[in-house]
Amino acid sequence: MNRLVGIETEYGLYVEGRGVADQVMEAMNLLRNCPFPAVRDCWDYRLEDPRRDMRGFRVEQLAVDPADAQIEREHPITLSEREVRNDHVLTNGARLYNDHAHPEYATPECRRLMDLIAHDKAGERILLACARAYAQKAGTTVKLYKNNTDYHGSSYGTHESYLLTREIPFDTLATTMMPFLTTRQIFAGAGKVGVEVNTTPRVPYQISQRADFYMDTMNVETLYRRPIFNTRDEPHAKMRYYRRLHVICGDANMSEYATALKVGTTALVLDLLEEGWAIDFFIIEPVRAAQSISRDPDGKWLVETDAGVMSAIDIQRHYLQAAHTRFAGRDAETDWLLREWETVLDLLETEPELLSNRLDWVAKRQLLTLFAETEGIALDDPVMIALDLAYHDIDPAEGLYYALVEQGRMQTLASPEAVELAMRQPPADTRAYIRGLVVECYPSQVESLNWERIILRNEEQTVRLDLSQLLGNLRDLNRRLTAAQSITEFVQLLQSPHRASETNKEARNDTAG
Amino acid sequence: MILQAEERVRRSIPTEPLTRPGGDGDGPSRPDVKRPDTNELLRRMRRVDPEQARRYRQRSGE
Repeated sequence: MNRLVGIETEYGLYVEGRGVADQVMEAMNLLRNCPFPAVRDCWDYRLEDPRRDMRGFRVEQLAVDPADAQIEREHPITLSEREVRNDHVLTNGARLYNDHAHPEYATPECRRLMDLIAHDKAGERILLACARAYAQKAGTTVKLYKNNTDYHGSSYGTHESYLLTREIPFDTLATTMMPFLTTRQIFAGAGKVGVEVNTTPRVPYQISQRADFYMDTMNVETLYRRPIFNTRDEPHAKMRYYRRLHVICGDANMSEYATALKVGTTALVLDLLEEGWAIDFFIIEPVRAAQSISRDPDGKWLVETDAGVMSAIDIQRHYLQAAHTRFAGRDAETDWLLREWETVLDLLETEPELLSNRLDWVAKRQLLTLFAETEGIALDDPVMIALDLAYHDIDPAEGLYYALVEQGRMQTLASPEAVELAMRQPPADTRAYIRGLVVECYPSQVESLNWERIILRNEEQTVRLDLSQLLGNLRDLNRRLTAAQSITEFVQLLQSPHRASETNKEARNDTAG
Repeated sequence: MILQAEERVRRSIPTEPLTRPGGDGDGPSRPDVKRPDTNELLRRMRRVDPEQARRYRQRSGE
């Protein structure tokens, strides 16, 4: 990928004997038991502005889920925001914290798809270690689920972030991404038993966990009235030059292959945009189309566009063809993506069951069908929801996804060694490496840090390290930083004017495609 | 600018991607549909507490 990409996952948390009103405290307790070295409580929120909209305005306030607001009124939290957040920055450059009562793991920024896959899985392992430490201390059962729903109407997110040039006009970006994001669920959906809104006829199984919660085509919201296209304008880089596409409509994938295809194809569409390509049709009523596709896993996935009725597969092929024409032969990662994208679309059309070793929604449905047929029960039996939930249990000894992996029934991409390494080390070629190096080598001198800035201090002075322009391939710089013999040398390397102009130019060339 | 380093740990920098496109393992390219060994899968599914989903309530997230 020619850009920085990351995934942030809010995990579902279950602590035996504790209810939804306790969830903020329980998420805090879990994070307090994080057994990994970290810089704690130093996240710098001053550069964040989630209410800024790409369309050129700023909303007064973000929408709140009424059910959630009621819990907050009835069970107010008296702790400070800092205590509640429980911010951790880890040696692998990742962020771990409590976001709206969910332990959230944000991967470090990655430039290579397979680095991202390893870091996404590393997040699962890190959270699992936190859960085990807390369970042992509290003497209770603690479970974490990498999914997006509690099956009772509450949803929580798995967001993707893609850095891209600001030269692409907003309208072009939104109109080109919309049909792609509406339809990519056919390979990126995690599968879900039932529907969480009133529909007729009843739907026993659907492709996407998140589709029930789309309420708008585009807006800046994330907690309620969730859109397909999120317009938050918070690039975590120089706003003059960059945007961050904040994708909130996706599901949490257990399958590494599905994650790779989801993120890799999205990055390819952004490559197309940066080449000047744009889509030439639009879906009429994208929210309705997305929900219709999701709720008809055996259907033709037909949607109405201004160019006539098209299938989701053909819409995806439209993007694939454009990417193939422009990017085939570019590098091994791109060729792998183009090949797999084509294969998956072909199989979805002809033999979708053959994708049960790659796509979550197909694998889960096959598991549930096996159980229903063996036990002689219907697919809409209430136990199916428990099995659906268990698919997302991140404990390899308990989770049903991991039962498939154990039996060699799921294609994995990251070796156990790569995941183990990613739990400790950041990607070698991004600014996350600098963050991770500071956490590992100079933790006591960190005053604050975030995605684009680190402030170091000693008794008498503070030093600001600006990472906002360090967006290109930083392998050489990171190698020199690793060899620095003192923090003074480390800081000097980062503050070198020659280094800054060099990496800024490189980054802009990268994002220009 | 002078900041004294109180601690410094040497670390190695990985030179290759953590994994390769196509994967590191020999995962199956398609499921074995002829003679699926489903006993272990079914055992694990039967261990799932059928009440867990009913108990599982979450706050809305971002």
